[in-house]
Amino acid sequence: MFKAVARIFRTPDLRRKIGFTLGIVALFRLGSFIPAPFVDFGNVQTCLAANQGTSGLYELVNLFSGGALLQLSIFALGIMPYITASIIVQLLRVVIPHFETLYKEGASGQSRLTQYTRYLTIALGVLQSTTLITVARSGALFGTSTVAECGQLITNDAWYAILLMVITMTAGTGVIMWMGELVTERGVGNGMSLLIFTSIASTFPSSLWLIAQTQGFETFLAVLAVGVAVVFGVVFVELSQRRIPVQYAKRVVGRRTYGGNNTYIPIKVNMAGVVPVIFASSLLYLPALIAQFNQPAAGQAPAGWVTWINNYLVRGDHPLYMLMYFLLIVGFTYFYVAITFNPEEVADNMKKFGGFIPGIRAGRPTAEYLDYVLTRITLPGSIYLGVIALLPLIALVAVGANQNFPFGGASILIIVGVGLETVKQIDSQLQQRHYEGLLR
Amino acid sequence: MQILQVILQVVLAITSLLLTLLILLHKGRGGGLSDMFGGGVTSNLGASGVAERNLNRITVILGLVWVASIIVLGLITKFDTGL
Repeated sequence: MFKAVARIFRTPDLRRKIGFTLGIVALFRLGSFIPAPFVDFGNVQTCLAANQGTSGLYELVNLFSGGALLQLSIFALGIMPYITASIIVQLLRVVIPHFETLYKEGASGQSRLTQYTRYLTIALGVLQSTTLITVARSGALFGTSTVAECGQLITNDAWYAILLMVITMTAGTGVIMWMGELVTERGVGNGMSLLIFTSIASTFPSSLWLIAQTQGFETFLAVLAVGVAVVFGVVFVELSQRRIPVQYAKRVVGRRTYGGNNTYIPIKVNMAGVVPVIFASSLLYLPALIAQFNQPAAGQAPAGWVTWINNYLVRGDHPLYMLMYFLLIVGFTYFYVAITFNPEEVADNMKKFGGFIPGIRAGRPTAEYLDYVLTRITLPGSIYLGVIALLPLIALVAVGANQNFPFGGASILIIVGVGLETVKQIDSQLQQRHYEGLLR
Repeated sequence: MQILQVILQVVLAITSLLLTLLILLHKGRGGGLSDMFGGGVTSNLGASGVAERNLNRITVILGLVWVASIIVLGLITKFDTGL
């Protein structure tokens, strides 16, 4: 293991790649601290300090941008617009036939789809930065905060200043996207996911320290122990898969023989990854948003349904909220797996290349069998996702930590997923030169 | 000071727009969602052409100008209102 690590740095090619990746990550973090023009840095800092630990509406989004959002920095939007854009483009594949044909076209069609994603990212960047700046200008960014500084985050109220901030933040979104692509191209691992990884990991120390400060040292140690256990569990489930054996018929084309080998279709327990968690939390965020828009004027009692939403759907520690969150995640897991893995397509492809699952006829029965296995294996997968996502909410009740509780929810899934993927890539790079890699 | 601020704002606006355009001109390398959160085979079809390399160089220079103008603007705002 340690020899392998030393070997990474002795391989000039790999050393350059890792260096490049680290450089980009450093630039990304640096940019998250540069405030956008016309933002009053001092006021933002006092306001942040005053609101430490309270969970506002923008927690999840703020988590994805590594705290840059609430600082109103030039990289405030972070990687979020790109994530949203790729989710939208992927979902549109089901709706728009043109996208589906592009996707099936292979490399050239998929690069067109990527290009659409990029345009959509910029469009979403304009939209989200406008929203963010409008909210910051009205002073509602930090919820119902009583600190006076929170109302004066922006120094210049003129229209051109607002416009300038919007285009600066949009350009920042573009720059982040480009940095991610550069890492994918010249560095190690997938750039976009590494940048998300960086943002999330950067909030770890401060939120852990917050627990240590507010709850005492024993709780801190307990949380650390639970965290390590959770990481072990997540790695275990993420790597577990069911292997459906596939036999390929031997074919002779000219003088060459093809096929005749045994392979398998790996079906992961958690095929959907973190996407269902992101879906569910953004969907549950909607009622809170609606309730916020319907706040009554001072002195009047709010409408009955607004109170109901405020009581049950805004705070994360209510059982009803937890139940809905859990059910939504289970539902979305099935939905997303159905989108990403199409049993009929796989069965068709297998038939085309002379493959079959031993004991099952090619074509329709194969598709049905795959569907059966997939449905059954997704059930524990979805329950696992739901439980992991509920961890921070449980911690909210048990330890009194805020929703950014580091070991749970989307953050732990992303951290472990991206970490595994990156290590695998470094490993395959190492194996191009030596036989033994990092993983055994 | 006022003039410098206006000039910087104009520079910032122009570089922001240009930067966005230039970045959109690049060939996308991201692979969508399935690529992002595990799963899927990342194809590393590298080999960027001369055009892409020049585009990279221009983008980097423009990005530096962009960051510099933001920082200087921020400093001016800070010392104007702070003092």
